[in-house]
Amino acid sequence: MTAILEIRNVTKLYGNELALDGLSVGLQANEYISLLGPSGSGKSTLLRIIAGFEKPDAGDIFLEGKSVAGVPAHKRGIGFVSQSFALFPHMSVFDNVAFGLRHREEEPVRDEGEITRRVNDMLDLVGLVDLGDRRISQISGGQKQRVALARTLVADPKIILLDEPLGALDANLRSRMRAELRRIRQQLGITFMHVTGNEQEALAMGDRVAVLDSGRLIQVADPDTVYNRPASARVARFLDCYNMFEGRCEDGERFIAGDTSFPCLANQNAQAGPGFYCVRFDKIRVAPASEAPQPGEVGVRATFITSEYSGPSVMYFFEGQGNKVLEVEYHLSHRQPEEFSLGGEYALLWSPGDALVYA
Amino acid sequence: MAEVRHRIQDGTGTSTVARVAAERKDPHARRITALLIAPGTIWMILFLVVPMLMMVYVSFWTQKTFTIEPTLTLNSWIAFFSSETYFGALLRTIRIWLIVLAATFFLGYPTALFIGLFIKNKTLQTIVLVLCVVPFWTSFLIRVLAWRPMLGKEGAVNIVLQKIGLISQPIEVLLFTEFSVVIGMTQIYVVFMVGPIAFMLSRIDPSLIEAARDLGASTWRIFRTIIFPLSLPGVVVGAIFVSVMVLGEFATSAALSGRKVNLLGNIIVTQVGSLKWAFAAVVGVILTVVIAFIVAALLKIVDLRKEL
Repeated sequence: MTAILEIRNVTKLYGNELALDGLSVGLQANEYISLLGPSGSGKSTLLRIIAGFEKPDAGDIFLEGKSVAGVPAHKRGIGFVSQSFALFPHMSVFDNVAFGLRHREEEPVRDEGEITRRVNDMLDLVGLVDLGDRRISQISGGQKQRVALARTLVADPKIILLDEPLGALDANLRSRMRAELRRIRQQLGITFMHVTGNEQEALAMGDRVAVLDSGRLIQVADPDTVYNRPASARVARFLDCYNMFEGRCEDGERFIAGDTSFPCLANQNAQAGPGFYCVRFDKIRVAPASEAPQPGEVGVRATFITSEYSGPSVMYFFEGQGNKVLEVEYHLSHRQPEEFSLGGEYALLWSPGDALVYA
Repeated sequence: MAEVRHRIQDGTGTSTVARVAAERKDPHARRITALLIAPGTIWMILFLVVPMLMMVYVSFWTQKTFTIEPTLTLNSWIAFFSSETYFGALLRTIRIWLIVLAATFFLGYPTALFIGLFIKNKTLQTIVLVLCVVPFWTSFLIRVLAWRPMLGKEGAVNIVLQKIGLISQPIEVLLFTEFSVVIGMTQIYVVFMVGPIAFMLSRIDPSLIEAARDLGASTWRIFRTIIFPLSLPGVVVGAIFVSVMVLGEFATSAALSGRKVNLLGNIIVTQVGSLKWAFAAVVGVILTVVIAFIVAALLKIVDLRKEL
């Protein structure tokens, strides 16, 4: 695979704030990469620098091997779909999509027949072929999203940057648009870079997931690796599916968190020192406090607070040592939901091999 | 029930909803509605509809030298349209209105563009808009009369031009001509054009301009295809303000033309002054009809209810 876009040591300062800190990453041709980061991590800044709306303070960006420093946004062949869609409210859906073809400075398309053909092809691709005459105020949020995408795609860009594209849509529509976005990308065979603050969206969409924190990439890998083997405790925290115990590792064999101690296995490569011991929500078994742990199981005692039912799974919330909230997830296809008594004491148990140790 | 009433008041109720509500004939709700619209309706009838009808009626009365009789006649109307002076005043009023409208637009639009689009800071935007209104802190007549020492034969403009050697003789056509009337009116009314346009421009989402640029459009294209169309409601509102005020003007033309430029407003003033009520009424009716046509035409350009 060849890198279509390469970002090398890009740094951006806002005043004294470091928005991007020597960030490097390569985008492959024909891939879907999702960029996950909390708000303020610099993900929108990175997108705006790639698009050409802002200049990096240091570092460079190479598009197909050529530096794009000094190349204005519209000559980069990179499409940008903003979170607010930025559709022109006084034009019809058709005219919005045709805008770039008609009004671009370089090689505008003068032949109305060709414009009609290309716009209709694009509207067909995003499933809006009957809505060309509608005004922007007459279409729904999901349709606006598709128009914004079609407007960018019609110019045949090599890369499309999507800035939290699903953020303005309701939950139902979001999951439909996820599938739609992937289908459109596969059909066209171009590279999509999708920025999001939602970990599930990042994992669901990306062929690769890049995790951004404080202006640095802390992990770039396929979704399965990111989810099951986060590169660091910070990545695990973003994924919001791990119970994290803060403490220190001693001799590389025991992890001490408060009064409890967990064994560390040899393949967990724990070094002596402060760190985190992480257990995924769905790797935990809840047992009555009186029940003796099975051989090879470790665990903590905790008080049941509440539960939250979400259809395919149910979340149980417990309070452990030091008022720490511990979460347990039961996937209902594998396990039966259980009734725990409010304020009752339980043992949360897991196999030491399922835990991740960062120390 | 409360739900239904709420939807009707919102104006979003469908005809079915309205019919259902009407069939119920809730007497309490209807009494409240009647009570709420009564003051406005009575006010408009007493001080707008009745005076207008009266004006139309009086325009057909018979004018004697010092009296007026309610005997219906077309004499005043015939006098207006057969007189070179009076019909000429109508044409002059329309010509000056068009010139002032164009001048306020071409001066006002760039100003509004600067305030509404180039000043990003909202506080600074408000400060600059308030600065535009500062001249209004002095009286209207003083602002008009201040143009005399500016434009006069020995006024500021002539002195400066002579000092820097551009002219040897003072330019006399600056004051007491149609030109000075246009200058005065433009200065006074341009702010009514700037305000609404700046407001519409400041509401344009910057991401639209960014998107248009990303799609490859040049600055001029973006202005033509995005910025100007989106500011058009502001232009129309500004044009309505300026038109209504300029068409009814008499003070600026009286003070800055040396009574040489007679607009319809000036004719009304002199006719009322010499107690020619019937003739003043004719001019008033004509002026009202002209303004109504112009406002209606401007409203045809954009659907303000939809755009604002």
